[in-house]
Amino acid sequence: MMQIHFERTGGFMGRNIALDLDLSSLPPDQAAALKLLVDESDFFNLTELRPENPMPDGFVYSITVETETNKHTIHASELKFPQRLRPLLNDLLSRTRTR
Amino acid sequence: MSHRHSIFCILPPHMLDQIAQNGTTAQRDMAVKTLASSKQVRDNRLNMLTAAMSGTFAVTGTKQRTIYDAKFGTTLPGTVVRREGDAPTQDVAVNEAYDYCGATFDLYSAVFGRNSIDNRGMDLKSTVHYDKGYDNAFWNGQQMVYGDGDEDMPVAQRLFNRFTISLDVIGHELTHGVTQYEAGLVYQNQQGALNEAVSDIFGSLVKQYQRGQTADAADWIIGEGLFTSNVRGVGIRSMKAPGTAYNDPVLGKDPQPAHMKDYITTTQDNGGVHINSGIVNHAFYVTAINIGGYAWEKTGQIWYKSLTEKFTSISNFQNAADLTFQAAGEIFGIGSLEQVAVKTGWTEVGINVDSTPSPIPLPGGEGCLKGLMRSLGLVK
Repeated sequence: MMQIHFERTGGFMGRNIALDLDLSSLPPDQAAALKLLVDESDFFNLTELRPENPMPDGFVYSITVETETNKHTIHASELKFPQRLRPLLNDLLSRTRTR
Repeated sequence: MSHRHSIFCILPPHMLDQIAQNGTTAQRDMAVKTLASSKQVRDNRLNMLTAAMSGTFAVTGTKQRTIYDAKFGTTLPGTVVRREGDAPTQDVAVNEAYDYCGATFDLYSAVFGRNSIDNRGMDLKSTVHYDKGYDNAFWNGQQMVYGDGDEDMPVAQRLFNRFTISLDVIGHELTHGVTQYEAGLVYQNQQGALNEAVSDIFGSLVKQYQRGQTADAADWIIGEGLFTSNVRGVGIRSMKAPGTAYNDPVLGKDPQPAHMKDYITTTQDNGGVHINSGIVNHAFYVTAINIGGYAWEKTGQIWYKSLTEKFTSISNFQNAADLTFQAAGEIFGIGSLEQVAVKTGWTEVGINVDSTPSPIPLPGGEGCLKGLMRSLGLVK
């Protein structure tokens, strides 16, 4: 079991976007691809980031991944967001932009 | 270095302001120059101090724009593509960033006597083509950054155009820099919403100034042109009618309140800084309409004075109301039409100005004669 909660807040428009994914309800190839992105980022070993001073009009991203044994959240501004989470972030962002 | 006008220490600023407002063309020119130079004298002292510390001299009064291209990556600032004085390029985003940044500098310089973001001739740096599918623009503390909207999607699915398309967006971002160097408003909750409103206010003034529009002729839309024709909306925010800028099946409805009774308490968006700013935006709009004429001339002056001399990092809406009222009284007189208009603007959004006299500010920030008269108790 793996669930992903993604949220983006802030930005010039101030419009919040959120996405909840339960991998068990996704097509198997998509679920496998997402799980790979989570694994490759070594998500559960990423250290939580210290709160930052907000940047005017900047986005703030938050990703929470939950499994049977683990739950972890990474919350950071776009400039401080960990590089190795970028592939997962880009995947989640593209899902929120599909019309 | 600017030369010092001998009249600098003779006429108090409020009289110069009067002349600048009401005098003949020649008188106005003289008064405006004197007002600007008295500010420059102070700035030059600062510049000399900075120069002594850093070993370099800032160029005062001229724009120094540099446009960078992030080439759809996220590394800042990116590659230089146009410097000050360079001819236009083939890239429309580069040219918009250059021209609109210039228009913003010009408003601050010509109307408010300000020399760039820091008032010390700071270089204006902008990066275009930031990231892929990036529906945003921001100020990172040192420079402006612009995405291209939904450039990576099929035309029929795009909601956002490039963020350089809108003059007031560029004015908005540059103003975040000005606020950082002046009031330094915390980007959270009411302080953050005030910070946002200041950016919308001066962003809108840049557009009105460039178009030569009076307050009643302006559209007061923020982010006009950002939406593609696929979106039902005229822009991101409306200062005239907050909450009405867009209403779209995908993007939802413009969430901005226009009154304190609809103030939104949230943890999102740093406490709703882009949402509750509608309240302050609308107070400005009502004031500008009631004063009439060009909004940058009087309402703009009141807010510029408030931002640079009165607001602090923790100013909230009530504080902003009291201080803009105070500033209007200082510039135009106690009980003047302009001061009443400021009060009416705030009343309209549900904030009652507290007009009990605040502690008298130190005379350092004003002309020497007025400062002296104030300290002697000869003027209020």
